Amino acid sequence: MTRHAEDGPRTARLTDTAATVPSAAAHVAASPAAALEVDGRTTGPEASDRRDEDRREGGRRAEDDTGAGEDDELTAREERQGARVREAIRDELEPAVQGEDRSAIISLRNVSLAFDRPILQDVSFVARKGETIVVVGESGTGKSTILKLILRLLVPDTGQVCIEGRDISRLSFADALKVRQRMGMVFQGAALFDSMSVFENVAYPLREQTDMSEEEIDTRVREKLKFVDLEPDQILDQLPSQLSGGMRKRVGIARGMAADPPIMLYDEPTSGLDPLTTGTVTRLIMKLQRELGVTSVVVSHDIRSTFRMATRVALLAERRIVFSGTPEEMTGSDDEYIRDFLGGL
Amino acid sequence: MATLVGRLDRVTRSTVWSVQEYFLLAWQAVRFTFARPFYATDLAQQMDAIGVQSLGIVLLTGLFTGMVLALQSSVQLETFGATQYIGRLVAGSMIRELGPVLAGLMVAGRVGSGIAAQLGSMKVTEQIDALNTMGTDPIKKLVTPRLLAALIMLPVLTVINDFVGIIGGNIIASAYIGLPTELYWRTVWEQIASGGFTLRYIPNDFIQGLVKPFVFGGVIAITACFFGLRTTGGTEGVGQSATRTVVTSSVLILVTDYFLTQILLAVFTP
Repeated sequence: MTRHAEDGPRTARLTDTAATVPSAAAHVAASPAAALEVDGRTTGPEASDRRDEDRREGGRRAEDDTGAGEDDELTAREERQGARVREAIRDELEPAVQGEDRSAIISLRNVSLAFDRPILQDVSFVARKGETIVVVGESGTGKSTILKLILRLLVPDTGQVCIEGRDISRLSFADALKVRQRMGMVFQGAALFDSMSVFENVAYPLREQTDMSEEEIDTRVREKLKFVDLEPDQILDQLPSQLSGGMRKRVGIARGMAADPPIMLYDEPTSGLDPLTTGTVTRLIMKLQRELGVTSVVVSHDIRSTFRMATRVALLAERRIVFSGTPEEMTGSDDEYIRDFLGGL
Repeated sequence: MATLVGRLDRVTRSTVWSVQEYFLLAWQAVRFTFARPFYATDLAQQMDAIGVQSLGIVLLTGLFTGMVLALQSSVQLETFGATQYIGRLVAGSMIRELGPVLAGLMVAGRVGSGIAAQLGSMKVTEQIDALNTMGTDPIKKLVTPRLLAALIMLPVLTVINDFVGIIGGNIIASAYIGLPTELYWRTVWEQIASGGFTLRYIPNDFIQGLVKPFVFGGVIAITACFFGLRTTGGTEGVGQSATRTVVTSSVLILVTDYFLTQILLAVFTP
C-alpha cells in the first residue's frame, strides 16, 4: 500500500468524492482555547454558565408542560438525564478548555472549500473528547461536506483539519485510510453493501481493520447488533434490501461502531424516519456517548432530536458557522435567523 | 466566437483529464494485483459473473456465427468448386476475428453494463464512500478483481466461442454441401496449425486468437469501472453510465481490434 506515496496526497482519484487542490497558503493559527469564535465573541461552554443553568431549568419546565403529548413521561425523564450527562461532560472538560486544548479530538481551523461555487468559508470548530456536536442548517449549506472533510474524502482549499492533533489534509492516501479507521461513519441512507448479508456488513470493518478470529467476529457482531436493539438471530442472514429503513439505519450504526472507533460521525441519522424510530436512533447516539464516551459529530436538520443529544450545536448558514453553543444558549438566543430556524420551538 | 473557443477549450481539457483518469485507474488496478490483502472471494465471484454466466450467450452467438459463415462461404466457394475449404475459411475467420470480437461485444453488453450499473449505484448510495471510510481502497476491492476476472475469462470464453462456431460450420457444411465431417476437420486443423508447432514458431491464429480477447477483457473491465465510479446524479446517472460503458467499450473493441491486428501481423509475420 505504498501507492500514492510519491504521487502525494492530492492526486485526483475517481473514488474520492472530488479532488481539490489546497493552496500552500499558511494557515492562520487559531488560538487553541478559542473553541468556537463566532464574529469575535466566544461562545464556548465556559461562557455564561450560570445564566445557562437558570435558562436550562426554565426551559426544561416549559418543555415538560407543553410536551408534545406522546411519550411525555419517558421523554422528559430521558431529556433530563441527557441534560445531566451533558453537564457532567461539560464540567469535566472545563479545566481542559482553560488550559491547553489537548482534548480536542476533531478540530477544523479556518477551513474554506469551493468547487464551482464556494461551499464553506472560514469554518472553525472543535470537538473535545466525549462531546456530541450537532451541525444544523438548511439543506445544501455544506453540512455533509464537513463530515467528508473530517473523513478526508475531501481536502480543504485552505485551513486545517486535525484529527487527534494531527493535520490530515496533508496525508498521503494510504495514511488517510489509517486515520479513517479511527472513525465510524453512519451514512444518510445507511450505505450498507447490498450484496452482503447483515452479518457481513457489520463484520466488514472488523475483517478489514483487525486480526480477529471468526469466533470473535461473530461475538462482536452479535454484541453490536444487540447494542442497537436488534435481534441478531432474526436478521444476521438477511440482505439489506429485506430490512426496513429504521432497521437499516441501526445496522448502519452497528457497522460504524463495530471496530470501536473513538469518533463517530453521523450524516442525517434521523432523516426519513418515523417519530418513534427517530427517538430510538437518537437514544442510541446518546447511549454511545454515555456508555462508550465516543466523540460524535452529527449533521442534522431535525431540531427536536438535535436538542436531545447535542452537547453543543453549530448552526451553518451562508457557508459559515453563524452560531455555536449549547442547545440552551440556542433556544435563548435573540437572533432573528436562529429564532426563524428553530421555528415554533 | 470567444465562447466557442472557450467551450472548445473546456471540452478538450475535460477529455484529456478523462483519458488520464482512465489510464490512472487501469494502472492502479494493475498495481493492486500484487498487493495485500487479496480479495480472493471477490475474484472468484467476478469470474463466475463474467465467465460462467456469460457462457450461454457466447455459445449461442458462436454457434450461429459459425453456421452463417459456412452458409455464405459455401455459396462463394461453390463458384470456384472449392467447397472443401469451408472448414479452413470458417476456422480462420472465427479464430482471428469473429470469435474475439463477438465474445468481446457480447461481454461488453452483458457484463460491462452490469459492472457499470453496480458500481454506479454503489457510488450514488454512498457505498463507495463507506468503503473508503472503513479503510478499504475501492479500486483494490472493486476494480482489481473485475479486471483480473475479465482478463482471465475473456480468452476462455473466446476459445469456447471459436470451438462452437467451428462446430456450427461443420453442421452446415455436412447438411447443405454434404462435406464429410472428417474432411472438414482436417482443413480446420490445416488452418490452425498450418506451419506446425515448435517453440520458435507459434501459429498466428493462436497468437491473434488469444492476445485479442485478453486486451478486450481489460478494455471492458476498465471502461465499465471507470464509468461506474464516476457516476453522479442518482438513478438516472446509473443508467447513463451503463449506456456509456456499452457504447464506449464496443467502439474501443472494434478500434483496438484493427490496430492489434496490424501490430500482430507486423510482429509475427505469417
